[in-house]
Amino acid sequence: MSLTEQNITLWGDDIPWLAGLREKGLNAFNKAGLPTAKTEAWKYSFKAVGQTENLQIDTAPHECDGHCHHLHDLPFKAYQIHVCDGKLHGEHFDLPQGVSLKPLVEAIYDGDAKAYLNKSFEAEKFPFAALNTAYLEHGFMLVIERGTVVDEPIFIRYHNEHTTNTFNNIRNLIVVESRAKAEIIEYFDGNGIGNINNIVNEIFLSTDSSLQHYKLQSESASTRHISFNSIQQKSGSSYKCFVAQKECTLARHESYIKLMQEGASAEVNGIYKLNSDGVSDITTNIRHLAPHTISNQLVKGVVDGHAKGVFQGQIHIAPDAEQTEGYQLHRALLLSDEGEVDCKPELEIFADDVKCSHGATCGDLDKEQLFYMQSRGININDARRILIEAYLQEVLNKIDNSAVAEWIKAQF
Amino acid sequence: MAEPILEIKNLSATVAGKEIIKNLNLTINADEVHALMGPNGAGKSTLSYVLTGKPDYEVTGGEIRFCGKDLLAMKTDERASAGLFLSMQYPVAIPGVATNNFLKHAVNAKRKYEGLPELDAAEFLKLLRTEAKNLNIGADMLKREINVGFSGGEKKRMEILQMSLLKPSLAILDEADSGLDIDALKLVADGVNKLHNETNALLIITHHLDLLNHIEPDIVHIYADGHIIKSGDKNLAIELEKSGYKTFVDAE
Ligand SMILES: Nc1ncnc2c1ncn2[C@@H]1O[C@H](COP(=O)(O)OP(=O)(O)OP(=O)(O)O)[C@@H](O)[C@H]1O
Ligand SMILES: [Mg+2]
Repeated sequence: MSLTEQNITLWGDDIPWLAGLREKGLNAFNKAGLPTAKTEAWKYSFKAVGQTENLQIDTAPHECDGHCHHLHDLPFKAYQIHVCDGKLHGEHFDLPQGVSLKPLVEAIYDGDAKAYLNKSFEAEKFPFAALNTAYLEHGFMLVIERGTVVDEPIFIRYHNEHTTNTFNNIRNLIVVESRAKAEIIEYFDGNGIGNINNIVNEIFLSTDSSLQHYKLQSESASTRHISFNSIQQKSGSSYKCFVAQKECTLARHESYIKLMQEGASAEVNGIYKLNSDGVSDITTNIRHLAPHTISNQLVKGVVDGHAKGVFQGQIHIAPDAEQTEGYQLHRALLLSDEGEVDCKPELEIFADDVKCSHGATCGDLDKEQLFYMQSRGININDARRILIEAYLQEVLNKIDNSAVAEWIKAQF
Repeated sequence: MAEPILEIKNLSATVAGKEIIKNLNLTINADEVHALMGPNGAGKSTLSYVLTGKPDYEVTGGEIRFCGKDLLAMKTDERASAGLFLSMQYPVAIPGVATNNFLKHAVNAKRKYEGLPELDAAEFLKLLRTEAKNLNIGADMLKREINVGFSGGEKKRMEILQMSLLKPSLAILDEADSGLDIDALKLVADGVNKLHNETNALLIITHHLDLLNHIEPDIVHIYADGHIIKSGDKNLAIELEKSGYKTFVDAE
């Protein structure tokens, strides 16, 4: 069975606009096909997608055997939401005033989703996102209402525990209304085997809103994690993303950010650490479409063994987007001869009055520093660990919520 | 007779294929303070790196025993844990590593080697505070990244702080006096003198008599072209201050 011939029925296929949307997604995917060496946005990581013929979409209803329970050992308070084996757990959620969360199908049924669904990106350019549209059913719509400041992070745990060779498509809509402010944390874990988890977040930030988006990818070694985050920002809004990727077959985090109005700002920071033969891919495309917009990116990775780290960062500055700033830096520690680091910065600047920079470094640990530590009695393994920790700390320092920063750090 | 701490016999070593240490002999016993003086580029720092086992410093001949053990068979960290300490001429900055954390790692590494339980944060801070105070090192500096942006003198005081915490059997001080103001020189010398007793020894590499007036040497060596050309008591250093190296080197 191929990814496009699943012979399944999806909820709402009798709703014409929804069926039409899915068909559009399928057509877009069929046109693009699975990424190959020629697919520019995938040229370093397409191989890691690997075998897809044996994958199946799981249509069974969600049955929970207790694994959906809250994480009790989180070192901070949070509103917890669970997506178990690709399906949202529960229908009612314990959330504060001004925050609403619904299963995606309910949001479609209620008419809330239509204005946002598939509105933030061009399907033809993103094959897996197109496929996600073709199968859209699972996921949620989260709305932070006008002026609401959410006091604690909304913690979404995607836990894939019982699935094998499953193709999980999750589609989320996140709407942050004007002057609203929230932190969301996405945490991916579980022992599922051979799955592709294909997640699309469409995020809409209204005027003067703010969203901190933290993500920790910590899935099983055989997982292929493909997440596409499409963010649209209105004036004065702020989007700040921190992505931390541990090793699996493929962990791809793609950000497609449109700074559509003046004063919008976006940040994408990230760390990854690989030891064996996995691939981490952080791909960004930040589009400055209005004057006085700012973007910042700092990504640092550690690559050992036969692993591969990929960073592709595009900064586009539209003709009228004067007085914009776009900065980007990718740095990697390459600790083995067999490892690989690929970095592709791309600047497309059509305005005159801009401040833009990009940079990339790739190197080994500093020998003088290692010697200095060893000369103080610290053994080589500890010395390396301390230096790697220090290396990644610079990016962790970008996290505003220190409890969250500590939690992420503890997993690395 | 006092126990030998360091015994160097017929040592030769190369750096980047260049022979820098040539047939060097030196024995340092417990309780002794040795001063090593010699012109720039003579190979003094090279000796300190050979002793601590820096990569790329290749021993091509001879042997070194440290407290009875074959030093050259030990890794750098083992040498440190066994009681060898080098206050470096150019201490290394490590961005991202807080000084107090670094020091805690070092102290606990040594305790682990000695089979002692590691110190927890509170115990370590107590120890650190006392030692740091003696060297006039404030809490702010301990919170900063190790050696990052430290002034020359601050770096040297930080080296001596590490020495005080690690209590080595042999401390090699490679130009510990360079860049120090008059008060700091006194603090550093006091720190060294406080450590020194009949169970340990010091090897002081310096260009200045000043330091040797604060830390009295038992033996002064003149070192040139990779080996010791003359040894004597402190008067040798005084003589050297007046005449310079030329007469000694020419007499070779
Ligand atoms: N990595 C290296 N590659 C090439 N030459 C080196 C290297 N390290 C040291 N040397 C050379 O070895 C010689 C001895 O250097 P060393 O630093 O040991 O001198 P020193 O006696 O400590 O001098 P100073 O009093 O100036 O500190 C010098 O000529 C130096 O240039
Ligand atoms: Mg020197």
